[in-house]
Amino acid sequence: MGFFRIQDTRLVDSFTLPSIFERRLALYKEWHDFVFFDREKGIFGLLNFAIYGNPYDVKRGYGGALVFFVDSQGTAVTKMKLISLDKLHVTSFSPDFLSDDVTVSYQKNHSFKTKGKLDSVSFDLDFQVVLPPTTSREIVLDILSKHRLNTGMIQAAAEMSRLWDCWVELPRLNVSGEVALNGVTDSINTRTGYQDHEGGIFDWGSTWGWDTGVLLCDPSVGREPGKVSFLFYRFGPTDNLSHGGIVMEIENSKQKYFDSERINISRTGNYSGDQKFCPGITRLLYPDYRPYIPRRITFSGFNNSDKVKIVFTPMAVCNIVLSGIYSNAETIFHEMFCNAALSCLVDGQIYDGNIPCWFESVRPRGTVKKYALKA
Amino acid sequence: MPLKLRSFIYALLDLLREDYPLQLHELIRDARGITCLQTLDDETIIIKIRRGKIKIVRRVRKKEINIRVSLSRRCLFRILEGELTLEEAFYTDELKVCGDPLTLLRTYQLWQKIISLSRKSPRFYFLTYKLR
Repeated sequence: MGFFRIQDTRLVDSFTLPSIFERRLALYKEWHDFVFFDREKGIFGLLNFAIYGNPYDVKRGYGGALVFFVDSQGTAVTKMKLISLDKLHVTSFSPDFLSDDVTVSYQKNHSFKTKGKLDSVSFDLDFQVVLPPTTSREIVLDILSKHRLNTGMIQAAAEMSRLWDCWVELPRLNVSGEVALNGVTDSINTRTGYQDHEGGIFDWGSTWGWDTGVLLCDPSVGREPGKVSFLFYRFGPTDNLSHGGIVMEIENSKQKYFDSERINISRTGNYSGDQKFCPGITRLLYPDYRPYIPRRITFSGFNNSDKVKIVFTPMAVCNIVLSGIYSNAETIFHEMFCNAALSCLVDGQIYDGNIPCWFESVRPRGTVKKYALKA
Repeated sequence: MPLKLRSFIYALLDLLREDYPLQLHELIRDARGITCLQTLDDETIIIKIRRGKIKIVRRVRKKEINIRVSLSRRCLFRILEGELTLEEAFYTDELKVCGDPLTLLRTYQLWQKIISLSRKSPRFYFLTYKLR
């Protein structure tokens, strides 16, 4: 690990706009996801700033801003707005995403200043980069250097490289500022921010999806580790046809990896809480649609003498239904704010805690007979 | 100043002709015979679908109208943004629909198909928000 410095963030996290000669410009998509949880205020936030379609054609491309907040009462608030390209400024030389209603502006002090107002929701948040960016290339090389190559790894890597041209994460951000939800303004101050940035050229109908997320750890609290993140990438139509693992950061930035071959994943019960839908017309198109969300998702894994168990309990859910451009296939993103009950033993040291978590589960919408995926 | 309903329908038809000609052809085929008296806030227009064309006409014989839809802009955007389901909208005073069940269903399916296309077309989204 460690290809980059914090100073490289501006370039590494820039938009990677495709060439104007790219034949499939209509399928281009790229975004920033910012995530945080303020433990004192009990507020969770996921902010997505995206660009879709041909970025050089105002009729065929557009920007989008989506926010998913959960307030201290556990109430989810979602807002989404599309932005016309003639009112949006993005370049390949900075992570900036500038429009009239929403802005992400990278500052000289290596922070992202985000500001926006979407109807009754507004935010003015500063995300200070604390650790340098990491790219998918680094993660793959790091895993390969420590673990034996297996077929699942190759298949998942092949599927990921087919879709994604850009995959960057900022593992730790300090977040400060204000969020106003339905007329109530709260100040935010937390060390548990995270950002990822992905981009690629593919139709939504062509992916089998993935399960990914981050436990928003605070190592200064109790026996929490430095960071826990996970990714299970599907390369086929069942949950078994996937590969990935859990990456855990412990003392002195030492990393532990649990490969999915040694992880058991179980999903039990039915989540019965409120489910938000984006875009809003999803409710008009599918009035009775209520996708399956488990009440609990459990990861249990081991690696030699190390053991890990995480029990995720979804607390609030936002479902984003996206339609393919060249097909009628749809993909659903279940964005979940979860409580993650962590218990693990790594290098003889116990780590545990109830840690707030962002969990994103993506899959094709609709159940296909004889296949296990349900959405 | 929000876009007038009449201008919106003309712009929508231009958009569909340019970007989705096949889908437009199917929509017209499936909705043939519908004559809709459509009211948005205080503007009323008559949409007539006949012989491969969707037209906005100034007048028709009263018995030709087989569906009447009246809604407010506020209600329209609350539905589009997912704040209200169609069922919930019927319990407000801001959406009224009248017609025989079969024509109602055909009109609903027509709009469902158009709305479904809007998810693929940013032009459609931005055009719709000019109505607000």
